[in-house]
Amino acid sequence: MLRFILRRTLGAAVILVLLTVVAFLLFFGMPRDPALLMCGKTCTPDALANIHQTLGIDKSIPEQFWIFLSGLVMGRDDFSQGSCPAPCFGYSYHTNENVWSTLIDRLPTTVSLAVGAAILFLIVGLGAGLIAAWKRGTVVDKAFTAGSMVLSSMQIYFLGPLAMAILVFQMHLFDEPKYTNFTEDPAAWFTGLILPWAVLSTIFAAQYTRMARSSMIEQLQEEHVRTARAKGMSRSYVFFRYAWRGSLIPIVTIFGIDIAALLGGAIITEFTFGLPGLGRLAVEAVNFSDLPLLLGVMLFSAAMILLFNIIVDACYAFIDPRVRLS
Amino acid sequence: MTSPTKAEGSGPAVALDPELAATTETVQVKELVGRSPGQLMWIRFKRDRAGVTSACIVLFFIAIGLLAPVISKLYGKDPYTVYADERPELFDSAGVPLHPNGGISSEFWFGLEPGNGYDVFTKLLYGIRNSLGISVAVTVATVLTGVLLGIAAGYLGGKVDFAISRVVDFLLAFPSQLFFIASMPVVVSLFVDPKDETPVYVRVVALIAVQWFLGWMSLARILRGTTLSLAGREFIEAAKVSGAPPWRIIRKEILPNVVTPILVQSTYMLPAFVTAEAGLSFLGVGIVEPTPDWGQMFSKASTELVMQNDITYMFFPGISMIIFIVAFNLLGDSVRDAFDPKTAR
Repeated sequence: MLRFILRRTLGAAVILVLLTVVAFLLFFGMPRDPALLMCGKTCTPDALANIHQTLGIDKSIPEQFWIFLSGLVMGRDDFSQGSCPAPCFGYSYHTNENVWSTLIDRLPTTVSLAVGAAILFLIVGLGAGLIAAWKRGTVVDKAFTAGSMVLSSMQIYFLGPLAMAILVFQMHLFDEPKYTNFTEDPAAWFTGLILPWAVLSTIFAAQYTRMARSSMIEQLQEEHVRTARAKGMSRSYVFFRYAWRGSLIPIVTIFGIDIAALLGGAIITEFTFGLPGLGRLAVEAVNFSDLPLLLGVMLFSAAMILLFNIIVDACYAFIDPRVRLS
Repeated sequence: MTSPTKAEGSGPAVALDPELAATTETVQVKELVGRSPGQLMWIRFKRDRAGVTSACIVLFFIAIGLLAPVISKLYGKDPYTVYADERPELFDSAGVPLHPNGGISSEFWFGLEPGNGYDVFTKLLYGIRNSLGISVAVTVATVLTGVLLGIAAGYLGGKVDFAISRVVDFLLAFPSQLFFIASMPVVVSLFVDPKDETPVYVRVVALIAVQWFLGWMSLARILRGTTLSLAGREFIEAAKVSGAPPWRIIRKEILPNVVTPILVQSTYMLPAFVTAEAGLSFLGVGIVEPTPDWGQMFSKASTELVMQNDITYMFFPGISMIIFIVAFNLLGDSVRDAFDPKTAR
C-alpha cells in the first residue's frame, strides 16, 4: 500500500511539474507580450513598463520559469508587495493580493459546495438507481430511466437561472444564494448554499441513477451472484451484499473524477449563483487577464485531480478484492 | 460474393412439381442475399424506433442550422435588428417586452429579448446554426486527430506508442474546463493585438482550437486499443506477408474495422462539444453579442433583468437544447446497439 502511494505520488509530481511548464509557457511564452494582454485596451507605455517590471517578464522565459519554480518551493522576497512565503505563486496583478492566500481564502466555498452536493447526489442518485434496478422492467424503472435521461441532459446554465427565477424571484422561497463561513453562522451557511446544492446535484444525481442502474443490472448477471442465489440466499441479501458491492467499482471511478473536478472549482455553478469559490476566481482572473492568479488556480485544480486519482485507485483495493495494489 | 448454396439454388430446378419448385426457389433466393455489415447495421437501426425518432430530431436541428438564413428570410427578420431602438413602443423603460410572455405575438413568434430587444426566433435559429457549426468543426478535427494518433500508436507500437500514450495521459490530467477559459484569451491574443477589437472569426477559431486540443484523447485511447488487438490478427499478418506497405494496411485493413468505435464515439462527442461551447459562451469567454449563439442566450437568460421579469425567454434556448441533447444521446445509444448487438443496454 505504502509503495503504491509513494509510486503514484511520484508520478503525479512529474505530471504536475510538466503541467506547470505547459501552463507557464501558455501564459508567459505564447502571447507576443503577456503584459499587453494584462494591460488591456487603455494601455499607456508607462503602465506597460510597470507591468513588465512587476512581473519580471523582461527576463528570458527559462529564467522566468526558474524563478517561478524556485518561488513555489522556497518562497520569494523580490515582490514590491512584500515577502511571499512558499508555496509562492506570486501576487495577483489585479487585486495585488498574494495568490496562494487568495486560493486558500476561496477554498472553503468550493469545498462546501462540492461536498454538500456530492452527499446529496450520491444518496439520491445511487438510491434511485438501486430502486430502478430492483424494480427492473416495471413502471417505476421506466419512469426513473426516462426522468434521469432528461435531467442528465440538462445544463447547469439552464437549470440554475431557471431555479433562481422561479424559486427566488417569483415565489420568494429562498434567498439569493450566498456564502457565509460555516464557523460564523452554520444556519446561514446552510440556507445560502441549499439552492446551488440542489441544482448541482439534480444533474449529477440523474447521471448516477443511470450509471448505478446499468452497473447493478450488469452485476446481477455475474456468475458469483448467480451462484449465491443458487445456494439459496435471499434475493435482497444477494442484491445488497453481493451485487451492490461489485456495482460500485465503475461508480467510484466516475465519482473520483467528478469530485476532483468539483473541488477544482465548479466554474459554471459558482458563476451562476455568484458564489466566491475557485471556479469564479478563475473566471474573474480571465476577465482581468490576471495571469499569475490564473496560473495558480489552474495548478491547484490539476493537483486536486491528480490527488483524487490516487485516492480512487487506492480505494479499489477496499471495494474489489480482486485488485491488488503494487 | 459467391456462395456455393446460391450457385446451387440458381441452377435449373429438377423437380416433379414445377409449382413447388418455383416457390422453394424464391424462398431460397430471398434467404441467401448477401448483406454487408453496413446493410445489417442499417436494418437493425431501422427496427429501433427510439433511434429513428431521435435521428429525425437530430436531422431537424441540422436542417434548422443549415436553413437558418432561408427561414429568417421567409419570416422577414434577422437576429441583429435592435428592436428596442426600432420599435420602442413594444418595451417598457427597463427594456422588458410589454406584451405578456416575453412579447410573444403573431409578429414575433418567440417574443423579444429583454434588453436589446432582438427577435428571439431568428436569434435561436442562428444560435443553433453557429453553435452546431463550431461543434461539428471541433468533432471533425478531434476525430481526425484521434484516428491518426490512435491508429499510429496501436499499429506502429514501440517508441511511437509510448510517446503518444504518455501525451494522452498527460493531457487527460488537465482540468479541461479551466484550461478552456484560461487559454481562450491567450489564443485570441495570438491572432489579434489585445488593443484591437476581436473579430468574430478569431473567436470561433480559438474556440475550435482549444476544444480540439483537449478533445481527441479519449478516441485515440480507444482506437489504440482496438488497433492493438487487430494488429495481431491473421488477416493483417497475411497482408504483411504479401508485401503490403504499412500505409496500405492501415487504410485498407485497419480503418474499415474501426469505423464502429469512430462513429459511436463521435455521436457521443458532438453533444458534449455543443454543451461545452455553450458553457464557454455562457461564461463570457466564447461567442459574444451581437453574434447569436446558443450559450450566449443562456448568459442573457441568467441576467437579473430576465430572471426577474421574463422567464419565458429562458425556455427557448433551454428546452431546445434539452431536446437536442436527449435526442443525440439516444441516437448514440441506438448507433452503438445497431453496430454491436452483443452489448445489451
